[in-house]
Amino acid sequence: MKNNTKKECIAMLLAGGQGTRLGVLTKDVAKPAVPFAAKYRIIDFPLSNCINSGIDTIGVLTQYRPFELHQYIGNGQPWDLDRLNGGIFVLPPFMRAKSGEWYKGTANAIYQNIEFIDDYNPDYVVLLSGDHIYKMDYADMLAAHKKNKADCTIAVLEVPIQEASRFGILNLKKNNEIYEFEEKPKNPKSNKASMGIYIFTWSVLRRYLVEDEADKTSENDFGKNIIPKMLADKQRMFAYQFDGYWKDVGTISSLWEANMDVLRGGTGAEDLDLDDDSWKIYARNMAEPPQYISPTGRVQNCLISEGTVVHGTVKDSIISHSVTIGKNAYVEGSIIMPGATIEEGADVRYSIVGWNAVVGKGCMVGETLAECKPGEWKISVIAPGHNLPDNSVVGANEMIG
Amino acid sequence: MKNNAAAVLFASDEDSHLNDLTIHRTTASLPFGGRYRLIDFVLSNLVHANITKIGIITRNNYNSLMDHIRQGRDWNLNRKNSGISVYPPFVFNAAHEVYKGKIEALYMLRGFLMNSNEEYVVISNTNIAFNIDFDEVEKFHEEKGADITMLTYTTADITSRKLLVTTDKNKRITDIRFPVASDTGKRLCNLNIYYVKKDLLISLIDNAYAHGAYDFEKDILRAGLDELYVMSYEVDNYVAVIDRIPTYFKSSMDLLNPEVREDLFYNHSTILTKVKDSVPTKYKEGANVHNSLIADGCEIDGTVENSVLFRSVKVGKGAVIRNSIIMENGIIMENAQLDYTITDKDCIIQSGRRLSGYESYPMVVVKGKVI
Repeated sequence: MKNNTKKECIAMLLAGGQGTRLGVLTKDVAKPAVPFAAKYRIIDFPLSNCINSGIDTIGVLTQYRPFELHQYIGNGQPWDLDRLNGGIFVLPPFMRAKSGEWYKGTANAIYQNIEFIDDYNPDYVVLLSGDHIYKMDYADMLAAHKKNKADCTIAVLEVPIQEASRFGILNLKKNNEIYEFEEKPKNPKSNKASMGIYIFTWSVLRRYLVEDEADKTSENDFGKNIIPKMLADKQRMFAYQFDGYWKDVGTISSLWEANMDVLRGGTGAEDLDLDDDSWKIYARNMAEPPQYISPTGRVQNCLISEGTVVHGTVKDSIISHSVTIGKNAYVEGSIIMPGATIEEGADVRYSIVGWNAVVGKGCMVGETLAECKPGEWKISVIAPGHNLPDNSVVGANEMIG
Repeated sequence: MKNNAAAVLFASDEDSHLNDLTIHRTTASLPFGGRYRLIDFVLSNLVHANITKIGIITRNNYNSLMDHIRQGRDWNLNRKNSGISVYPPFVFNAAHEVYKGKIEALYMLRGFLMNSNEEYVVISNTNIAFNIDFDEVEKFHEEKGADITMLTYTTADITSRKLLVTTDKNKRITDIRFPVASDTGKRLCNLNIYYVKKDLLISLIDNAYAHGAYDFEKDILRAGLDELYVMSYEVDNYVAVIDRIPTYFKSSMDLLNPEVREDLFYNHSTILTKVKDSVPTKYKEGANVHNSLIADGCEIDGTVENSVLFRSVKVGKGAVIRNSIIMENGIIMENAQLDYTITDKDCIIQSGRRLSGYESYPMVVVKGKVI
């Protein structure tokens, strides 16, 4: 019963993390399923990148709260991933004849799915995270990997040197070969930050995964174990320089910032233009009628999606699909997630209102922000599905629900 | 649950006069309501009731319809069993002529009907925006012991092409006739949707075709009123029959009314359409939008009032759009002004141009025109 369709390159997407830093937003769903930019989910970005790069076989490794994500992915049709050969596969941990266990770490998650990967007999495996917002052509990265005859290629982004100590930093030779990897170094030697996007030559990675599993002291993690071990063994490891927009949306502040970058466009976010026919970002469609701005509605500098009705005033905000903004409500600098309701007279500023949450009449949520450092925005958050009673007051940076 | 009916849809309606709007397309594929084509409504209603074996009869200009339907995936109609088929006019027609009326067209589809396992057939025009439960129609048909159930609606929009329906207390239709000058006010009219047992339909069609008849309503329904139980199922929620440009305009403006949207989009069926992966709509600093229905993918930097904008419309700074319908990919450049205007797909209205029609006679800009 061997699958005889060979794929040159397949992708494995790590989507099992809980995303604790997103607090109430990931209480009931995995991070990749969190809504983004009015009609997308975070996972739409890596999935769309794959299909746009010509990768049509993707394993999505899920573990934490997987139902929403499984349902969203379905048969992969919205991303054109419903294929006769290949397509998209959700891979939660499973039982074997003698044992079964949770994914212990990122490397163990791939190790447990060696059979799945072997079935496609790929030359290369792309390893992706489900919590990054960016548009990237993995085919170009694969070409560099092949040209370098590399065993491993890691995508890197130049970050301001003063911020480099927040990232995993790669120190490179002139030919972009990696000689050192430092996780969050106090005194960074370079500003090339790892984006958590890898291409491995499968035969090499497979060997390391098997060895790593046998090592009882290992944490079975790519960043902590596999990459350092490959470096120590002097495998051919190269950096692939990426110049476009990229953001890890693992925190409330960065999630808010990335949404605002989409809205703002322009300097630094040119590459985040979603209205790009040559690199579409696909999403599951909600079959809602067009949005309606009522005679009392006022909308400026906003992104709004289908099924939404606006009776109030909305400024500098992302209003997702199926949202209702009541009369005399005021929304500024906020992200209102799908299905949420902002009732009459409520005032919402610099906040994230979770999906299906209700902000009651006359509530005051969040505060207009004075200057904040990037990454340190004081964003208030209302949990998905939370019902905020009328006239509640929620201060800046508070998380409710 | 599985439904016991197949459906035959007519992509064109000979009685419609949509002029410039249907030069390039069937009435079925006329854009409506910001992101839909008219056929989406009947298709969605059928799919909601699990009526999934659907044949569409086309007459001419069916390219846009084929492009819209594809394999029917957007309506969940890409099935192994049943699904959707589009029949171009000549497929079964040895005479090499486009069919004359519904009888000839249905006779052409005799094979489709014979091959379907379903016991009943829904026959419908496609120029109707509505949201009903076909299960209720089936129940009515059974309860009344009908031979043919005709869907009817009450309207004041009485044109010479409408068929007025008279019923008795039991909803049996006693007369079907054209309107005359004295027929004013609201009247019960034929909605051009029928529910009928397949075997009966085939025998009626065979008999009529053999006698050279081609008008379904006149030669089968009216001629058979005495012998057949033709029952009237009255649709009492929102119905728009789009057959002339003023009704297209008025029905589009009806969508600005929340009750109409509730009735049409959230009633029984989810209205499905071809997915285009448009981005969310962007309202810029100059946006001043009131009482308007806006699809995704637009970019608005001007004034939009009492209007419907389809997907991916661009409105430049200082442009003013009032009481208008702008179809997909329309570009309204800086300081252009539109009032009571319908621009078809891909139109460009250049900077500072002013176009104006009237409520009773909106101006229509033909597809792809640059003004």
